[in-house]
Amino acid sequence: MNWTASARAIAGVAFKEFLHIYRDKRIVALVLLLPPLFTLLFGYAFQGTRLTGAPSLLMDRDKSAESAKFIALLKGKDAFAWRESSAPAAPDLVRAGVEEVLIIPAGWGKSLEDGDPAAIRLILDGSDTDTAAELEGDTREALGDFQSEARDDLINNLPDEVVEMGKKLPVETRHQFASMMEPWKVESDILYNPKLSFIEYVIPGIIGLILQLLTVTLMACTITREREAGTLYQLLVTSLGRTEIVLGKVLPYLLLSMFLIAATVAVAALHFGVHFRQPLLLGLVCLLFLLCSLGLGLLISSFSNTQTQAIQFAVFFLLPVFPLSGAFAPIQRLPMGVRAISYFFPLTHFCHAFRLINLNHAGFDFILGDLAFLLAGGVLTCAGAAFLLSRVQD
Amino acid sequence: MEPFIALDQLQKAFGARVAVDRVSMSIPAGEIFGFLGANGAGKTTTIRMLCGLAKPSGGCATIGGRDVWKERSRVRSQFGYVAQKFSLYPDLTVSENLSFFGRACGVPPGVFAKRSESLLKKMDLQDRRRSMTGSLSGGLKQLLALACAMIHQPPLLFLDEPTSGLDPVHRQRIWNLLYDLSHEGATIFVTTHYMDEAERCTEVGFLHEGRLLAKESPAHLKQSFKGKLLEMEVEPVMKALVNLRGWPGVLDASLRSGRVRLYAAAPEKLEAGWRQNWPWPELKWVGSRWADPDMEDVFKAYSEGYEEILNRSLS
Repeated sequence: MNWTASARAIAGVAFKEFLHIYRDKRIVALVLLLPPLFTLLFGYAFQGTRLTGAPSLLMDRDKSAESAKFIALLKGKDAFAWRESSAPAAPDLVRAGVEEVLIIPAGWGKSLEDGDPAAIRLILDGSDTDTAAELEGDTREALGDFQSEARDDLINNLPDEVVEMGKKLPVETRHQFASMMEPWKVESDILYNPKLSFIEYVIPGIIGLILQLLTVTLMACTITREREAGTLYQLLVTSLGRTEIVLGKVLPYLLLSMFLIAATVAVAALHFGVHFRQPLLLGLVCLLFLLCSLGLGLLISSFSNTQTQAIQFAVFFLLPVFPLSGAFAPIQRLPMGVRAISYFFPLTHFCHAFRLINLNHAGFDFILGDLAFLLAGGVLTCAGAAFLLSRVQD
Repeated sequence: MEPFIALDQLQKAFGARVAVDRVSMSIPAGEIFGFLGANGAGKTTTIRMLCGLAKPSGGCATIGGRDVWKERSRVRSQFGYVAQKFSLYPDLTVSENLSFFGRACGVPPGVFAKRSESLLKKMDLQDRRRSMTGSLSGGLKQLLALACAMIHQPPLLFLDEPTSGLDPVHRQRIWNLLYDLSHEGATIFVTTHYMDEAERCTEVGFLHEGRLLAKESPAHLKQSFKGKLLEMEVEPVMKALVNLRGWPGVLDASLRSGRVRLYAAAPEKLEAGWRQNWPWPELKWVGSRWADPDMEDVFKAYSEGYEEILNRSLS
């Protein structure tokens, strides 16, 4: 094989593909505007995941000193935006426009003193699984705080004779009591992402998803467009090898996508303050991921007969990637069978490797498996596309 | 002389449908070979097989001694191909298309500049080199397609209906170019529906439902008619055409320069009969004469299968 001639041929195809992109102003606009725009949108969408200001309804039927104290604690939590009601019956959640109804039953304060604490009633909206669980947790937390304050009050105000009686207890028992009266502590060191900032976690998902969407759909149209226009025949009767055609087609899109990654990263870093570490390794992961995505688009392109078909195939492939790739939630939450499928998506490996490098400061050796998968995916899809390229529509 | 293109029992089937049925023929170098046949006769499929774009289902074909399928990557430098459907890039300029195909066909950069300049000049496209290809007229598009197919100076050109839909001026231009090329020694394999173009070929082949019915020089083909054709002047002519067509013994009738040309196994008998008894009093028989068959008559006779009036040279 003559390498200079081959390089010239690949450059020729690449330049032609570049002209196709450059001359299509709508595609240029789409490609330049969408990634930064999506990064902004997704970035804001995933920036604060903690719930704040959920409209909630408070029904205090007790009106005691205790209930007033508990309500003050509840109002200190920014998860809720409280409204009070003295209606006799609890309203329907949706009609009242609230996420939670909290009812303090009549005689609650007294029941605490009588040693038979009555339950606080909560009504929650289970159709929104996340919010319901979070609000219940916040309510329990407030109640816990209330209870420990009450306990502290009790201990501090113990009558002297009780204290004297206590002193007569054996030392071990006294120590056990003291320990029980004290809340037990956990001291946690949160590594890698100490502020638990969700955007730091989710950024590879955002970058990967945008890039995959653009690369697969754009690439999926390249060969089918030529097949539809008949230029594929013209291309195939030249001395261009199939590998040269495939490489020439991938190259301009690869460069374009690297530029898009840079734009996305810039928006994430400058606007959302996301940190990017080990840029060389990150670059390598991005490069292989793009190669794999482009190869996939090309593969779709080489077996579709029309551009419409190609886009349909692309959408069918891209849809399951959203929930299954671990872009927005760890794949460890998926059941085993489904997780096995998720390992076949390039985005899964991209997100895994990206997080290991960027958040966990891991080195090359930690991501070898992911890199190998992405590389193999890129090579296999491109080879498959080259093989299917000359498939003639009978 | 060693044939430049040789087809041996070449066949292509799509499922149960046989598009090209055991075609054997050979074409010597330097010839303008006209490939004729109705739409769907299998001409394009044959060309695609010869270009290595479709795998033959049976038989084989060679160009310059090389198998067109097994050695297709090596045969490619031997020919240029202009497809039936316009297939250059409309969003590239004239010179961008030329230079893309120049690179794709491995034309060395040093040679390319001079060659593309002379092609642009030959095609009268010098002033349009910066125009978008999609904005060119049909004739100029076809000239550019020809230029792109010739950029690597192949010894053979496959042209699939290169003049269909073009005005007479551009048709003439393209044929003049083909003559020049042939004169320079190139072999040209061209399909066409225009019978005046078929007359200009060194040899023509008739393909009908995938089978090669004849392959001869135009002069020989015209001699394959058993006799002359009866041409009648009758008024009014349209009405005469309808009536004559339906007469027993008449295979078909066509209109030629105001006269009705008859295809019949025994035209002498018919004429003698009409001289005795003209069956249409409303029609006026002005006169009649005997005409030599032209390529259109040959094409019609072959594609309609008028066995009664043909001496088959090949079957």
